[in-house]
Amino acid sequence: MTAALTLESVSKRYGGFDAVRDLSFEVPKGSICGFLGPNGAGKTSTLRMILGLQPATSGRIAILGAPDGRLVRDRIGFLPEERGLYKKMTPVEAIAFFGALKGLPSHEGKKRARQLLEQQGLGAAQKKKMKELSKGMAQKVQLIAAVVHRPEFVILDEPFSGLDPMNQQGLEEMIRGLAADGATVLFSTHVMQHAERLCDKVVLLAKGRKAFEGTVEEAKATSPRVLDLEGAISPEAAGALPGVAGVETLSDQDGVRRLKIVLAAGAGGQDTLKAAFLSGLDVRGFALKEPTLHDAFIGLTGDNPDQPAVRPEAVQ
Amino acid sequence: MKRTLLIARREYVAYAKTVGFWLSLLAFPMFAVLGGGIPLLIRSAEPIKVVTVIEDGPAATGLAAEVRAALQEEKDRLAERVQEAAQKGQAAAGRAAASISGPKMRLIDAPPALTVAAPGAAREAALREVLDKDASKDRRVDAVVFLSRVDGKPQAQVWTARAMDNDVADFVRNALRTGYRDQALTAAGVAPSLVEQIESFKPEVKAFSPNAASGGEVSMRDRIPAFIGLGAGFLLWSLVITGASILLNSVMEEKSNKILEVLLSSASASEILTGKVLGVAMLTLTVLAVWAGIGTSVLTSASPDTAATIGQVLLDGGLVFYFIAYMVGGYLMYAVLFAAIGAFCETPRDAQTLMGPIMMILVVPILVMQMALTSPDAPVVKVLSWIPFFTPFLMSARAPSDPPLIEIVLTLIGMFATAALMVWIAGRAFRAGALSDVKLSWKTFGRAVTGRG
Repeated sequence: MTAALTLESVSKRYGGFDAVRDLSFEVPKGSICGFLGPNGAGKTSTLRMILGLQPATSGRIAILGAPDGRLVRDRIGFLPEERGLYKKMTPVEAIAFFGALKGLPSHEGKKRARQLLEQQGLGAAQKKKMKELSKGMAQKVQLIAAVVHRPEFVILDEPFSGLDPMNQQGLEEMIRGLAADGATVLFSTHVMQHAERLCDKVVLLAKGRKAFEGTVEEAKATSPRVLDLEGAISPEAAGALPGVAGVETLSDQDGVRRLKIVLAAGAGGQDTLKAAFLSGLDVRGFALKEPTLHDAFIGLTGDNPDQPAVRPEAVQ
Repeated sequence: MKRTLLIARREYVAYAKTVGFWLSLLAFPMFAVLGGGIPLLIRSAEPIKVVTVIEDGPAATGLAAEVRAALQEEKDRLAERVQEAAQKGQAAAGRAAASISGPKMRLIDAPPALTVAAPGAAREAALREVLDKDASKDRRVDAVVFLSRVDGKPQAQVWTARAMDNDVADFVRNALRTGYRDQALTAAGVAPSLVEQIESFKPEVKAFSPNAASGGEVSMRDRIPAFIGLGAGFLLWSLVITGASILLNSVMEEKSNKILEVLLSSASASEILTGKVLGVAMLTLTVLAVWAGIGTSVLTSASPDTAATIGQVLLDGGLVFYFIAYMVGGYLMYAVLFAAIGAFCETPRDAQTLMGPIMMILVVPILVMQMALTSPDAPVVKVLSWIPFFTPFLMSARAPSDPPLIEIVLTLIGMFATAALMVWIAGRAFRAGALSDVKLSWKTFGRAVTGRG
């Protein structure tokens, strides 16, 4: 599949701080790619470099065939992390204005704005001022403003932050819709569940470095499966079972323990469970757990994505 | 270019459609009119004082007639001024001048109670009665003047209803002085006709200058350019600072509302900066057009000759084009600088670090401009007008006094070169500031400009 975006050994340095280090990845055309990492991992800096808002200190970026995001500005839609629109404009005016900046004729911008607002359940808010809208509504309007010109590439920086579950679900649907219409979507998030549900591909970033690039399944596969066993089982006996990489005692009440058994890479867990029963272990309960993207992230980076990294103040 | 115009249009419309903009736009001429009109209104609205004049004893005979004659003379003089103004086509100005300068009093015959009351307690009681503010209108007077003559010299006691009212006392003092002088001169053998002739004599003094438009005699036409220069300097200063401040606030608002980053993904930093500068320039031009329109219509109706002279002065020697050039250069320098500062700030407080010293520097041309009115070639005026940041204001003030062409050309070059440098510096700072979270300081601003951030 052709790449809509390619980064080759891209680095960004602010003063003495390396925000992004030697980052390389590709986003295939028409895919939804999650750009994951804790706050301060370098996601926003990378997105700004892709857009051409900030120059890379070193490396090469190609987006939609151009060496600089600024050259294909009109074919890109962007939703920044910190959102804002002109408070005194109506949603239709704001969407049409940003559409016009991307080359969309004003009348067409207004027409599409009304359609998209109706689709998003914001028909009644069309004539209100932006300052009168709720945060969720304003965020939807801003996303519409970012895509009203039907961009080929959509970059969304932390699009789910600050949204309630209902609006998060609505936004997920919008992103799927964009991809279904042929757009390539790259969005950053530190909430793994969204990426897990939406992405064809994920790029994990930690401390400015790429920790992983691949599909969600591939990411999960990097993390071992876990078998929870409950019963009068000693950790040593559990550790002797086939396919076991490690054992952790979660609780112990008079010899009845809850054990977290980390399976070896490639082990499915069925064989381990079968061996436990056959060897006569006192198994009173069990659960075979698939690894999540969150587990994979922690395994790959050693970081919890919910914990922000330290980022010094910097001027570009 | 299309994006620049879109941003400019939005910037213009965002301000131009607010009531606040039009109110603040009209505030300046309104205050100018009020500033000049309020004293006029107050004076016009002042009631005519009812005054009675009583000669105290036979020695005072003739003094009341002197006061009456002085009042009549004053009225005749004002009527003459109004007539003269009307002949010059400045009837409104003449009436206005007459309404604020003439004595506002009417002399009536003394009430019998006062004339018969002997000096002392009886007179005071009668005075209290007629000067009482609660007295009926037909009996009440505003002032009572007792005229007497002591050792041949006229004296007066002026009783007024309000203790602070000095108008009547002042008028009576002048009337008596004039009367006494005339009598003294007559007694010394000077013919009354000669006294009158001396009094009405107005020596004709004419000012001449080789630089006058006529080549000799200095006329109003020669004085107007200096006033136009000073006015233009102040106007330019106020427009440039107003425009630049609007820009500063607009950029700060976009920064705090997180709109700048969205804009930057849709247009380049230079397109945004140019668009905003252009949009606010249109606002500034709107302000100028409205002020000029109001000023022209007021001046044309009040004094068509002066209006024509001002128009002629502005067009002669291309003065108006110099003003336009200084306005463009001045606005550019300050607008882009203020916009760049705004890109680092979310609140006016954030901007204070840099704005404080800049505003202090900006006071300098205001102080020096006044000197340019009388001494446009004073060394301090000349030297400061070479500093590009002061050039627009000081050269505007100097331009009408025909400074050497080389000075005009070189200061214009210096100003536009600095403006171009400012656009370059501000462009870099604007782009860095728009995406930056750092607190504004001279250091961070400098780092952004030099690209070492």
